[in-house]
Amino acid sequence: MPEIRVTPLGAGQDVGRSCILVSIGGKNVMLDCGMHMGFNDDRRFPDFSYITRNGRLTDFLDCVIISHFHLDHCGALPYFSEMVGYDGPIYMTHPTQAICPILLEDYRKIAVDKKGEANFFTSQMIKDCMKKVVAVHLHQTVQVDDELEIKAYYAGHVLGAAMFQIKVGSESVVYTGDYNMTPDRHLGAAWIDKCRPNLLITESTYATTIRDSKRCRERDFLKKVHEAVERGGKVLIPVFALGRAQELCILLETFWERMNLKAPIYFSTGLTEKANHYYKLFITWTNQKIRKTFVQRNMFEFKHIKAFDRAFADNPGPMVVFATPGMLHAGQSLQIFRKWAGNEKNMVIMPGYCVQGTVGHKILSGQRKLEMEGRQVLEVKMQVEYMSFSAHADAKGIMQLVGQAEPESVLLVHGEAKKMEFLKQKIEQEFRVSCYMPANGETVTLPTSPSIPVGISLGLLKREMAQGLLPDAKKPRLLHGTLIMKDSNFRLVSSEQALKELGLAEHQLRFTCRVHLHDPRKEQETAVRVYSHLKSVLKEHCVQHLPDGSVTVESILIQAAAHSEDPGTKVLLVSWTYQDEELGSHLTSLLKKGLPQAAS
Amino acid sequence: MDPECSQLLPALCSVLADPRQPVADDTCLEKLLDWFKTITEAGSSLLLLQENPCLLGLLCHVLKPQDLSPRVLAFSLRLAGMLAAQEDCFQYLQGDSSLFVASAAGQLLVHILGLSLQGAAEGHPGLQTGDWPVCAQKIVSHIEESLRSAATPQITQALNVLTTTFGHCHNPWTQVLWVRLSPLVACLLEKDPVPAAHSLVDLLLSVARSSVLSSSSCGLWETLAQTLSHLSPTQAGPLALGILKLQECPQALRAQAFAVLLQPLTCVLEATAQAPGLLDSLDGTGGASVTVDTLLPSKAACVGLLCRTLAHLELLQPLPQRPSPWPQAPLLGATVTILRLCSGLATPTSDAGGHLCAFLVGCVRVQRAALDFLGTLSQGTGPRELVTRVFAVLLEYLTSPDSSPTVLKKAFQATFRWLQSSPETPGCSDLDPHAQLFLRELLPVLPKRLCSPCWEVRDSGLEFLTQMIGHWGGQAGFRRALLASEVPELTEQLLRDPESYVRASAVAAMGQLSSQGLRVTPASPEHPGGRQKSLLAELLRILSTDSEGFPRRAVMHVFTQWLRDGHADVAGDTERFVARVLQVASQDLDWEVRAQGLELALVFLEQTLGRPSSHCPYAVTPPVAAPPSPLAQALRPLCRVQLFEFAFRALFDCDRPVAQKSCDLLLFLRAQTASYSGPQGSGSVPEVASVEAALQRWQAGDQGQPLGYLEPEVVVAVLRSMDLEGLRGVLAESSDRVEKSPQSLLQDMLATVGALGEDEADCY
Repeated sequence: MPEIRVTPLGAGQDVGRSCILVSIGGKNVMLDCGMHMGFNDDRRFPDFSYITRNGRLTDFLDCVIISHFHLDHCGALPYFSEMVGYDGPIYMTHPTQAICPILLEDYRKIAVDKKGEANFFTSQMIKDCMKKVVAVHLHQTVQVDDELEIKAYYAGHVLGAAMFQIKVGSESVVYTGDYNMTPDRHLGAAWIDKCRPNLLITESTYATTIRDSKRCRERDFLKKVHEAVERGGKVLIPVFALGRAQELCILLETFWERMNLKAPIYFSTGLTEKANHYYKLFITWTNQKIRKTFVQRNMFEFKHIKAFDRAFADNPGPMVVFATPGMLHAGQSLQIFRKWAGNEKNMVIMPGYCVQGTVGHKILSGQRKLEMEGRQVLEVKMQVEYMSFSAHADAKGIMQLVGQAEPESVLLVHGEAKKMEFLKQKIEQEFRVSCYMPANGETVTLPTSPSIPVGISLGLLKREMAQGLLPDAKKPRLLHGTLIMKDSNFRLVSSEQALKELGLAEHQLRFTCRVHLHDPRKEQETAVRVYSHLKSVLKEHCVQHLPDGSVTVESILIQAAAHSEDPGTKVLLVSWTYQDEELGSHLTSLLKKGLPQAAS
Repeated sequence: MDPECSQLLPALCSVLADPRQPVADDTCLEKLLDWFKTITEAGSSLLLLQENPCLLGLLCHVLKPQDLSPRVLAFSLRLAGMLAAQEDCFQYLQGDSSLFVASAAGQLLVHILGLSLQGAAEGHPGLQTGDWPVCAQKIVSHIEESLRSAATPQITQALNVLTTTFGHCHNPWTQVLWVRLSPLVACLLEKDPVPAAHSLVDLLLSVARSSVLSSSSCGLWETLAQTLSHLSPTQAGPLALGILKLQECPQALRAQAFAVLLQPLTCVLEATAQAPGLLDSLDGTGGASVTVDTLLPSKAACVGLLCRTLAHLELLQPLPQRPSPWPQAPLLGATVTILRLCSGLATPTSDAGGHLCAFLVGCVRVQRAALDFLGTLSQGTGPRELVTRVFAVLLEYLTSPDSSPTVLKKAFQATFRWLQSSPETPGCSDLDPHAQLFLRELLPVLPKRLCSPCWEVRDSGLEFLTQMIGHWGGQAGFRRALLASEVPELTEQLLRDPESYVRASAVAAMGQLSSQGLRVTPASPEHPGGRQKSLLAELLRILSTDSEGFPRRAVMHVFTQWLRDGHADVAGDTERFVARVLQVASQDLDWEVRAQGLELALVFLEQTLGRPSSHCPYAVTPPVAAPPSPLAQALRPLCRVQLFEFAFRALFDCDRPVAQKSCDLLLFLRAQTASYSGPQGSGSVPEVASVEAALQRWQAGDQGQPLGYLEPEVVVAVLRSMDLEGLRGVLAESSDRVEKSPQSLLQDMLATVGALGEDEADCY
């Protein structure tokens, strides 16, 4: 029995790092190759040794697909391809290929900052890895090999994020990666056609939440920034290089313009230009509004947001600064934080998730006395705010996507077990499909019914057509023939042709049945009674009384005989051919009910 | 455990035991286990429990049936296991649906087996399994049962447990175990298909590698030979490779294993009707050869088997224990043939050849594997005629418009390796005429690649070029051929490529070209009106304006190398050059550019202070070695290029590696100046104080005023007054020192309690 097998190495009931193995139609595909930011040792990478033990990964995997540029989806890729030794193809969209190296370099910087270069990938490795990438366009069917094909769909979430359909023969799996079903200020909503995959693997980060309207969150954010700036405070927004940062920039830019605010907004480390470059390059990936207005005004060319210089942090008066990295664990954002933390007029807004151990995590959990290098203690007096701007589909969005794709079954990843459980029930109830939620290392096996192509002989088709019925896709018809399996080909031919081709003789198969009738009359008379009864009941059939006393209905033969022991009982011998099996059974059951009392 | 942590622990335990309190971050529990592990490894688990009764409380508490999160339950079980490992053994749990649990359970079984036999069987190597402790007997019969099972997953589990056992334990009892179990293992070979073949191979190799099992007595070699002939060609490959890697092994078995590896290539040669002489030497067995139809029946089978075979042979080639004589020539022939089949160049003369051709044509996977192997084969020699064919096929790949970017990259790599291995003409250290001829054909191909619409191809082309110049830049034949081609001009154009990776590679290549005097019309800064802009000016433009880090880093590498080598463009006015580069680098947003700036500063410093640079054994021009001079005079050039301002600023850089590098540089400088016995402390006091004050402001994060020109005496005084060692100590502490501390972990976990909203598991 063919089957689809799915084993998450990461993202199975967690949101740490995505890495999911899928076997479909004899092909093995790895979906995402993410890194866990919470670990500093090898546990940050998925444990690939489970895949093949001692074998070569390149021989085992047919391809790797990366859904988007976030490190929890692509961060282990250089390690996987340049250090573990995977040498096969890697697929991702064009924007993902362009932006991936920037984030990987960013992460490398932090890793080197912490531990030096030891046991971590180098810039050259990142480049060599990116050279193995085959970039794909949206809705382009890419042939990985003769049997395996993939196709990307728009996923929203971040620039270049895609869902992927993986198809082998008639079997298919759709992997959503991270996606967003509502458009935001710079990206559109995820979309997929009614592709009816055997399995939909979907993220479920917000599996139980119907997110409060985005507008509310945005208004809240703007209000907080505005208040801080009005009271003369400085606002720090730690961000990662690309992604949510651009969304927040557009938000602030528009607000500043509308409110005619004068406080400066800065964006650190030259990323504005870089981001600008990529958004220009991949403008088709942004939402409709941005694309439309692009000719008159590029939304990413900001009027109010300027490049930050380290010296600006000491300037008097209010300001807003976007600085990297996003979790306040090193570099410029941490430096600014240390400088501003002591003043209660200032504010830090964390727009995303922070892993344990980072300063970001500590202040979000309410810690206000932080130990810094050299046993110094930093007292945090500034206001600390958390506003999640990560763009994932909420429960409603996930249900919407399931409805759109109409899968035969659903598998949840990238979420918490408890929330998955809730969504799983909801999906099973509403769509009547099975829903799975494997933990990391657990394999889900789905049997699939393969569609096997069968050739049909012209003769058989012609004969069918001769009956005057034209083929109609909506009205399936029964067609009798003989299925010949030869040289791993299947052909349906007429029975005569099959006999001829295979050099076989035809055998007649007849069914017989005995029906006991209570009738003291002679056999001949019983036969006549049977004849007249059948003649009156089976008006559409040809019923005959033959000279030898037997009765026929089409090919069915009925003979009456005396019972050897009971003279008051007659035995009817009924026999029919295989072709008239239906009529034969019907007739037997008729006779078993007995004959009507003679009118005489 | 330090007292701070001991105080925090009880509160944490009660949080963990409370099902209403969610644990925020899934990494916390892992890290907590790490910490407990270091504690138990350092001392007694019992002591840990006695000193922290809250731990025992937690373990007892989780045993009660309640709605505890699986995470906390798993954590508690692992903790319990860790603590108990010292005293007792554990029940085993196998057959879990999770790979991780099954694998952990398997490992646990191995440990228990080893532990239970430690005392009992060690003293009596003759002890039979019947006399083993009950626990060990139970495990053995469990394994036996699994091996007899009809379910492949169960067999796999049993084989994996045994593989780990023989891999880790080298005690005499393992021999007893093998003698008992090997008949059951052999039985697996009678099934068709052989179940869990991959794990079976792992097990047999693990046994064969074990030092305890003197295999002659155990019938191991027979089992191995039997397995080789029973497994499918794809499954047998890894076993064959493993056998050939063994240090000691019967010759007949090695021959059999090698024949298995060579079979697919023999098949290829046969199908393409190669000279029979080659075949004989390749197919060592001389037995009936296998046909393409049976060994390579379908495209998928053919591609898979050839890729694996080529990869196995690639691993085998460099090993000292590889088969001897090594059939270099037939292997070369087969690899070249495969490459020609893949590119559609070979014209098949037989049906079998036709099939192969249809399977392989355009197959990128096989092309990549074959090119990798071809590159490795450059380590050996081959007959002249074959080497000509190698170069021909490489040239075909480098020329063909059908070659994919990844294939081209491998073709470039293989080409470089073959050129490297071609013998040099005696006496003139130039490439041999053969390779020269090839180069003449190759260089016209390169421009096409440098103009490819694929950035990957342009980049691989430039990387290849840089390697070539580095290796043969000094050789006349190569120089002539290169200068006659369009390559140098095109490379220069690629300095403005839209792709930053390509710009970076072009910078590296141009740096090399210029160093070797291979730039088409070298222009110097003295002739700015020349047709060509000076390369130095162009690279400075990239350094100050390129929006991406990679090209700017590449420029800094080239500049550092130029300074080391005394490159003509630099040697003219070294001080001006260094001053300009440092000024631009100090403003750079990329930490690696700033770090490389310090590297360049160090080279300049070494040259100025007269210490010959240790980094450049190949320097064409000796470094500007100044004679020992009074301290002030020696430091003056460093002051003029504002090296100190650059280094002091870097000392307080927000990126730690930069600060560390600067600290090392200043310490080195202070050591250098200490040996000079010039007048000390002659710097005017107010100036020193103002510099010190500025440095303190910088340290506090204020990046305001520049220092301006500093007198050498002031620099020396400041250097001597600074606590550089202390600073180095702080910098050496990894920046995640706080992050990694157990105290921080406990505080974070406690702080998160109750602070979690509905969307606590957030992500990007």
